[in-house]
Amino acid sequence: MDPDKAQQLAAELEVEMMADMYNRMTNACHRKCVPPHYKEAELSKGEAVCLDRCVAKYLDLHERLGRKLTELSVQDEEMMRKSALGQ
Amino acid sequence: MAATVDSGNVPVSDAHTTSSAKQSYEGSTFQYSMLLQHLVGEKRPIKDLNPMVMGGLPNPMKTDDQKMIERGMESCAFKAVLACVGGFVLGGAFGVFTAGIDTNVGFDPKDPLKTPSAREVLKDMGQRGMSYAKNFAVIGAMFSCTECIIESHRGKSDWKNAVYSGCVTGGVIGFRGELSTVFTDAMLLEE
Repeated sequence: MDPDKAQQLAAELEVEMMADMYNRMTNACHRKCVPPHYKEAELSKGEAVCLDRCVAKYLDLHERLGRKLTELSVQDEEMMRKSALGQ
Repeated sequence: MAATVDSGNVPVSDAHTTSSAKQSYEGSTFQYSMLLQHLVGEKRPIKDLNPMVMGGLPNPMKTDDQKMIERGMESCAFKAVLACVGGFVLGGAFGVFTAGIDTNVGFDPKDPLKTPSAREVLKDMGQRGMSYAKNFAVIGAMFSCTECIIESHRGKSDWKNAVYSGCVTGGVIGFRGELSTVFTDAMLLEE
C-alpha cells in the first residue's frame, strides 16, 4: 500500500477513532473522579483537579501505547518478511 | 468498507495483524504499521479537538478571557481572599455586638455602680470589633487556603478535607500561641 492510500484510510478512520477515544475517556474519568451521589450541580475543585489529571494521563497513555504498538507492528512485519523470504 | 468495521479495535490483537498481513502481502510493503503511524504514530495530523467532532454536545467554545477568569475564580488564592474579607466583616459585626451587650469598660473602683459613658462604650466597641475582625479574618483565610490546597492535592471533595484543614489551622494557631509565649520567656530571660 503506498503512503497516499495509507493516509487516506487513516483520515477516514481517524474520526471514528477519536470519537471512540473521547467516549471511553469520558466514561473512565467520570467513573474515577465523580462519585455517584450528586450534592450540587457544579464541579467542585477536587473533582475538577481529578478530571484534569485523568485526561492528561489518558492522552499520555494513548500516545505511548500507540507508539509502542507501531514499533511492535514494524517488528512483526520484518519478522514475517524474513520468514517469507526464507521459505 | 471493511476497514471501518470495528475500527475502534483496530490496534488490538496480533492475530488480526497476521491475518491481514497474509491477505495483502505479496511483494508490497505491509501497510499496517504505515496506517498506525498515520493514526497514532508520528505522522498523525494535528487535529482541532472540537466536541462536535468527537461526539459531545456542540457548545460555543469559551474565549481565553473567560477561561482565565474562571480559573482565577476557582483558584485557592481567590478563595482565601474571599474568606478573609468575609471573616473580617463577620468578625467586626460579632465584636461590635458582643461589646455592646457585655461591656467591661468604664469600671471605676471608687464608684462600682457607675454605668460607662457612651463614648467609652463606643471606643470599646471599635477596639473589640477590630480585634475580633482581624482574628476571624486570619482564621478564615488560613482555613480556606489549607482546605483548598488539601482538596487540590487529594483530588476528591468530601468531608475529610475540612477535618484535615481544621487540624492544620488549629495546630498553627496553637503553635503561634506557644511561639509567642516562648518568645516572651526568652526576652524575659535575656533581661
